[in-house]
Amino acid sequence: MIGSAQQRLTRLFSERLPDRKSVWGVYAVIVFLVYSWTLVTSFYKLPSWMFYLTIDQILSIYAYSFSLNLLESIFLLVGVLFLHFTIFLPLKNKDEFQARSILAVLIVLISSMLRLVLFQTYEDIDAFLSSELLWWAITLSVGILVAVLAPKNAWIKNILGGIAERAAVFFYIYLPLSFISIVVVIVRNIY
Amino acid sequence: MTQLSRRDFLKVAGATFAGVLATRRPVPLKLANSTKPNIIIILWDAFSARHLSLHGYPRLTTPNIDAFAQSSTVFHNHYSGGNFTTTGTASMLTGMIPWKHRAINYGGLVRSEFVHNNPYTLLGSEYFRFAFSQNPWPDRLMGQYDKDVDRFLHPSAYSLMQQNPLIGMFEKDRALASIAVDDFLFPAQNNSIAGSSLIGYQNKSNVLNTAYNPKRIRYPKGAPEIMDPGYLIPYLNEDVYDGVYSELSRLDSEKSPYFAYFHLYSPHFPYRPRTDYRTLFRDDGYRPVVKPVHPMSAGLQDDFMRGQRDLYDRQIAQIDDEFGKLILQLNESGILENSYLIFTADHGELFERGFVGHGFHLMYESVLKIPLIIHAPGQTKREDVYSLTGNIDILPTILSMAGKKEVSDLDGRILPGFGGQMDEDRPIFSVVAVDNSAFGPIKKAVISMRKRNYKLITYLGYDNVEQTYELYDLESDPEELTNLASKDLTILSEMKNEFYENLDRANQPFVQ
Repeated sequence: MIGSAQQRLTRLFSERLPDRKSVWGVYAVIVFLVYSWTLVTSFYKLPSWMFYLTIDQILSIYAYSFSLNLLESIFLLVGVLFLHFTIFLPLKNKDEFQARSILAVLIVLISSMLRLVLFQTYEDIDAFLSSELLWWAITLSVGILVAVLAPKNAWIKNILGGIAERAAVFFYIYLPLSFISIVVVIVRNIY
Repeated sequence: MTQLSRRDFLKVAGATFAGVLATRRPVPLKLANSTKPNIIIILWDAFSARHLSLHGYPRLTTPNIDAFAQSSTVFHNHYSGGNFTTTGTASMLTGMIPWKHRAINYGGLVRSEFVHNNPYTLLGSEYFRFAFSQNPWPDRLMGQYDKDVDRFLHPSAYSLMQQNPLIGMFEKDRALASIAVDDFLFPAQNNSIAGSSLIGYQNKSNVLNTAYNPKRIRYPKGAPEIMDPGYLIPYLNEDVYDGVYSELSRLDSEKSPYFAYFHLYSPHFPYRPRTDYRTLFRDDGYRPVVKPVHPMSAGLQDDFMRGQRDLYDRQIAQIDDEFGKLILQLNESGILENSYLIFTADHGELFERGFVGHGFHLMYESVLKIPLIIHAPGQTKREDVYSLTGNIDILPTILSMAGKKEVSDLDGRILPGFGGQMDEDRPIFSVVAVDNSAFGPIKKAVISMRKRNYKLITYLGYDNVEQTYELYDLESDPEELTNLASKDLTILSEMKNEFYENLDRANQPFVQ
């Protein structure tokens, strides 16, 4: 009896478990979005940093940032896998994992970035707080709907697959930088 | 029963407090046993000496400070090295003029070769050294020598917010981690986009929801907030002052003498006095002098500036109450018996010429003149010092109090009344150079030079002012209404020569 339950569970997961290439594809998109956002926003700060920080201090700020980005990207990947094995579990089609997850990540991150851009000033605090619940309710509803329906379309699926493939190049830039960054942060906090 | 008005209450409280201090034992008990005195600095952020009733402000804003002054040394012409926190505080901690220490930009740092010039490093391990700044910018400055701080509280201590756990991980690289984490990756608000798209957003949402949860707050305009870039920390002054007292009680149980620096945020903007102070000074008939709008100001209307001034004065009155309670507690517990207590500010605040606040390009008296009141162990009588002093004098004075030898490369001098000499010919400089690189010669800045009864303001590298120089005789024109730059050419020439001599000398190391 226990054996048959195990078999059923194994079958259940093997039907739904995405292959490694798809997971890496999703992670590549996450890495691209998370790190690029940090880089782009840092360009707004860079002129003022150059006014009062030395080059090694500025590079150290990037070290902190890339270390956090690595953590953030892993969080997001874990979140995506969690979604896949919880609310998306009834969707047996593991071939759609990559497209579905990329869409979910895009919608959540872009929504979060939009809010960061839209509500920047002290005067925006009331608007930020009053709109927060509705904003995320809409984002999540739209996100789930799009993540479930859009991958059914082969054209969308192909495009998202292409994005994942091209984003993989950022691994080779950002991940080694992150590991160096972690070493820098550790060294700075030891001595 | 006759109800006591707030003002009467403040007067009675102040008088009681003065009485308590005056009846103290003249020879401190602990001083006899210990060779070194404790040194405590309590600093109010953005507190102009011009708003102290002690210095003749028409409103009774500070009866408790006035009472504290009755057994202390009061400095009547004390100036900050800058007009905002980083520059002002760095001048006080390094004993150097901003053009030398170079913490001249918002949130900037002291040049690495001068970092060792600070009370923590120079007092050494003989002292137990404590630091707490609600304002993150001084926290960052002290983070440059965090190894020499024995107990270092985070700006969110005693606030309504929990400390961000990520920040606690980088205690050994506090200054830079603060810029990376607080300013860049997780800024809560204030015209800054978080560099972290996910955790940064989550942090912002958490901070704003906590800060603006109305159930927590008994304040009509919300709790006061620490709101420098990156931060938005609501706090209650009652909690903060309770925290100051509990820290001092704890420090007093240390075996070694201690140095404690409390950089307290109020009365800094946003001015949010508690509900029971909301009508204080309303319709009291006080009308500040109306001054011409400055071309570099925000062009604010007089009514708005008056309203802001009223709020500021109420906030001062509230924290003056807290200060009074704290001094009573310190006195009752005997903590003051072996301690120097230095009360001061990092810079002042302006409500004139179309501008409210500080840290812009305006260098008038309200934003530069700060209080300095020092209570020495066993002091029962008030002393008054009228000669010009700067907050660059605090560090050498602290070292002298602790019996340490003088440091040669400081610009500051030991204060008169604490071993220093009065020097009527000494110029006092205040610098705002936020638009100038910290690594180059000073070419774009507004610099004030006070000497005798004159004050010269020089606008270097700015085209949007009518005149490069403003010269005031503060004895006959304390409100700085008549610019003598085109009238008193002899004085102008003398002041200019001395100013440029000093500036050229300061720029020398930066000229290729």
